[in-house]
Amino acid sequence: MSLIVQNLTKKYGEKVVVDNLSFEMDKPGVFALLGTNGAGKTTSIRVILGMLAYDSGKVLWEGKPFDAVNMSVGYLAEERGLYPKYSLLDQLLYFAKLRNVQKKEAMEKIKHWSERLLVEEYIFPPKTKGKGKGKANLAEQLSKGNQQKIQLMAALIADPKFLILDEPLSGLDPVNTDLFKEIIRGEIAKDKYLIMSSHQMPTIEEFCSDIIILNRGKTVLQGNLNEIKKGYGRVNLFIKSEKDIASYISMFGLKIQNKTPSEYHIKVQGEDQAMSLLAKLIEEKIPVVKFELREPSLHEIFIEKVGSVHEDE
Amino acid sequence: MKMSSISGWRDVFAFTLKQTLKSKAFIIGFIIFVTFSILLIPIMNLVIGDNVEEEGLIKIQTVYVYNETEITDIDFTKVSNLEIAVNDLKFITENKEYDDVLEQIEKDDEPAVTLKITKDEGMYFLHFTKASSGIVKNTELELLGNAVMESFEQIIIDNVDISDEQLEVIKSEVGTRVYTVDSKGKEIILEDTSISYNDYWLLYGILFIILMVNMTASTKIATSIVTEKSSKVIEHLLTSIKPLAIIIGKILAMLSAVLIQFVFIIILLFISNSITSHYINPGRENILKDYINPDVINNFGIDKIIICLLIIALGFIFYATLAGLAGATTSRVEEVSESLTMFTFTSLIGAYVGMGAAGTLMGTGENAFVYFALIFPLSSPFIMPGAVILGKTSVLLVISSIIVQIISIVLLFRFVARVYETLILHNGNRIAMKELFKIAKTVKEGSVNEK
Repeated sequence: MSLIVQNLTKKYGEKVVVDNLSFEMDKPGVFALLGTNGAGKTTSIRVILGMLAYDSGKVLWEGKPFDAVNMSVGYLAEERGLYPKYSLLDQLLYFAKLRNVQKKEAMEKIKHWSERLLVEEYIFPPKTKGKGKGKANLAEQLSKGNQQKIQLMAALIADPKFLILDEPLSGLDPVNTDLFKEIIRGEIAKDKYLIMSSHQMPTIEEFCSDIIILNRGKTVLQGNLNEIKKGYGRVNLFIKSEKDIASYISMFGLKIQNKTPSEYHIKVQGEDQAMSLLAKLIEEKIPVVKFELREPSLHEIFIEKVGSVHEDE
Repeated sequence: MKMSSISGWRDVFAFTLKQTLKSKAFIIGFIIFVTFSILLIPIMNLVIGDNVEEEGLIKIQTVYVYNETEITDIDFTKVSNLEIAVNDLKFITENKEYDDVLEQIEKDDEPAVTLKITKDEGMYFLHFTKASSGIVKNTELELLGNAVMESFEQIIIDNVDISDEQLEVIKSEVGTRVYTVDSKGKEIILEDTSISYNDYWLLYGILFIILMVNMTASTKIATSIVTEKSSKVIEHLLTSIKPLAIIIGKILAMLSAVLIQFVFIIILLFISNSITSHYINPGRENILKDYINPDVINNFGIDKIIICLLIIALGFIFYATLAGLAGATTSRVEEVSESLTMFTFTSLIGAYVGMGAAGTLMGTGENAFVYFALIFPLSSPFIMPGAVILGKTSVLLVISSIIVQIISIVLLFRFVARVYETLILHNGNRIAMKELFKIAKTVKEGSVNEK
């Protein structure tokens, strides 16, 4: 199974909001769509899912045009979407029915996910004394986080092979963030195809193997995250010393990125430069407590890529 | 329109119908309609029954007559219409002082009135006086007055001593007749196709109910579409179902809810009529027959009910599609009423044309304007059901109306479907009419891929 997005372009009038987007997922895993606000991530997702018509390009799933309606797709939209005044159970059963999940199976799934997401009491309200059934909870009565849980349930109810999660962790407290992460890990373990969009770079680094960074509809960087990082090399040097080593750093023409009382974060050109600095410190008998060379973080790459585009403009 | 584009509409239909029937607004509306249907006939019976009772129970027993005219020997008891109208009524020619009699009536609290007959400038006047705090009601006195007036006219005629033949000549009415002839002078006989006052109100009532239910249901469709957009549910739905299936499911669900209401109203009206006629007031054969032409009731068969429901359903689909357009152009619930302006305006045009046709039918009968109103897609849903019930339309007109309605729905739906598909994720200001045509044209030209 594979997903191929090829030269996808979407325009609103003369404005190009998705410009020649191309990527491929040839094996299960998580693909990240990154970009600043308004970069075209959500529009790209909508176009891929067929909610919006596109102007050119193609989206293929197993070599055939991608058709979200007739294949197994789960979608957690960025903005929470539930009927505010309908019962939660009715809504979930409706979403399941639209995905051809029969009522009995849907009820089992709803029970399973409501237990895992700790929302059982909202979906199956406890019985009131003297009454057969508890009063149904409405979506408008739930907190944003709980609404998000219900929506994640709706996305997972048909056990889809293909999942799109648009900002899945935004607005969640640390406990629920961990709960969501655990569920996402579970879905990845089931060999599913996931596209994730997020502003939280550590989350992307935690889950995603391949990324694409968009800026104003254009792709500014794409590829395997590890390869991208390797391409940059180990350019982040972290040195911890009991003495002030600022003069040695400047001797090599290096720039201090950040300094704490005992640790320096320095940007180096390459490993040789870092090793030369270390050799000099040893030669001068300056005690070095910590010496660590790291690849750039995704956050840095993102800032560099998106920032440089803005500077060019 | 591909079949795959509408697959899943049944699920939308079932969910929307279930939620609509469960909604407080529907339940309250339904209770009001049911109560109205059940109580209408007993209330009508009560009102009509009271009138009948009053007619037979004028409690006035004595009329003290003071005659100040030249006519002698006034004997009201000889006049037949008074015997029918008033039981055990005595007319006493009084010699006592007028004021004394009035005082006595007031004091004794008896069911009596005085009648002073005067003549002034060639006119006779009948002055009735009742005690201010007596038991005689104004309505009774009014009824008595009308009966006495008619009797007095007869007394005047009898008093001048003319023969019956002479009287017949005097009473002969003068009328005019207008004939229409063709070029050969042959008379063209025009059938009187006008309707009665009661028939007019029946037409008007049906029109008003359809208008009311139509507007309520269509507003709900627009609101439901906007709610799905504003609450972002639509994004989730679109991964499982195409936009066309959503709008078709919604319209048909609301149509079903409306038809359920209509069928219940009709059934309950007949049940209520039957119960009232048989148990509450066994003396009255059929309350509805007092207001509705008996021919209408006798000829009201299942065929007419089906035709009426079909026309109402088509009209509803037409207006619901228009309301769907209003919903598609709006992304905020608070803007729904503003976006429904065009829909309301169009509905009112249709209803007013229908009302005009009903008035024309009562005044002059069938003419070109009435035929137009029966076929015109905006007005036919309002006026045609009533015309079918009254038998004031031909099979040809009904078929023409249905065909025109179906064509209008198809054309409107194609336009709305294009707009809806394009604007389903629109989030911003309301789209103006000019923009809508632009969108529909753009999609038609195929500048946007259709998958």
